Amino acid sequence: MEEINSQTDVFQDEIGSIAKVLDSKMTAVERMKITKHNLKRISMAIIFYLITMLIFAALL
Amino acid sequence: MELILYIILLAFLFEMMDSSAGMGFGTGLTPLLFLIGYDPLQVVPILLISEAVTGITSGMFHHEFQNVRFSIKRPISKETKIMLMIAGIGCFAIFFSVILTYYSLKLPKDVIKTYVGILVLLMGIIGVFRLKSKVRDTYKPKLLAGFAALAGFNKGIGAGGYGPVVMMGQLFSGIYEKTATAIVSLAEGFVCIVGVAAFLLISSYGVTIDFALLPSIFTGGFLAAILSPYIVRVLPNKIWKLVIPIYAISMGILTISKVFLF
Repeated sequence: MEEINSQTDVFQDEIGSIAKVLDSKMTAVERMKITKHNLKRISMAIIFYLITMLIFAALL
Repeated sequence: MELILYIILLAFLFEMMDSSAGMGFGTGLTPLLFLIGYDPLQVVPILLISEAVTGITSGMFHHEFQNVRFSIKRPISKETKIMLMIAGIGCFAIFFSVILTYYSLKLPKDVIKTYVGILVLLMGIIGVFRLKSKVRDTYKPKLLAGFAALAGFNKGIGAGGYGPVVMMGQLFSGIYEKTATAIVSLAEGFVCIVGVAAFLLISSYGVTIDFALLPSIFTGGFLAAILSPYIVRVLPNKIWKLVIPIYAISMGILTISKVFLF
């Protein structure tokens, strides 16, 4: 991850640089890897979803 | 509260395509729900509420999965600036379209919807022909501003097709497919917030909104808004180069068909 970030910093101003670097430096299988940070964000989204559904259940 | 399985599945499928091809949630799902038998006040505000949340969620996960780099701190990235420009024009357009509706200014809907359908269809066809081009486009900000204004104008006169025109406009302006999808997803989220506000304003004037479909559409849409950016990241960009214009062609055909079906 840090390697990718440092590579994109070189052409930070270019639109879509981060996606282009990922596509050029990693295979599709390597891009499938999920980090702990990704899992944390997904967990937060699921909690948000559950809270929203509880609100719907109470109001609708 | 009722969860309807086939509505969840439909919302999931159309949001998957919307978050990965930048278009189709409103254009595709709305006529389908009308065909099933739901009326506009059961569908339109619910899709706007759902898309407001799922658009922003999808944008955040596109950032998380590194299809784009949005920034809220300075220096603001170019992707963020483009997103703000597209969202700003879209917000103004949706507000303008509500004013048109409020003052009952009737435009020939069939004519303008046919025009947008043909426009999206042509953009999709040009997109397919561009696949043969080996030269990578350079970013053309003025052209993008022109497409954003055109999409905003179409939405402002109530013709829809905002997502397809902005999405294809980004590609013609030289923006990388994966990044263009991420930008339009987040921008649509902000535009839909203004749409929701407009509907709440209308509801305060006595129009009743039916929220029965909201839990089902939100469930399908929200799950897709998380999964789709991951799929965009994993699949190679050449697939999106093909999928996006073909999907735009189908959206153009659908828009033209709607004129004759409804």
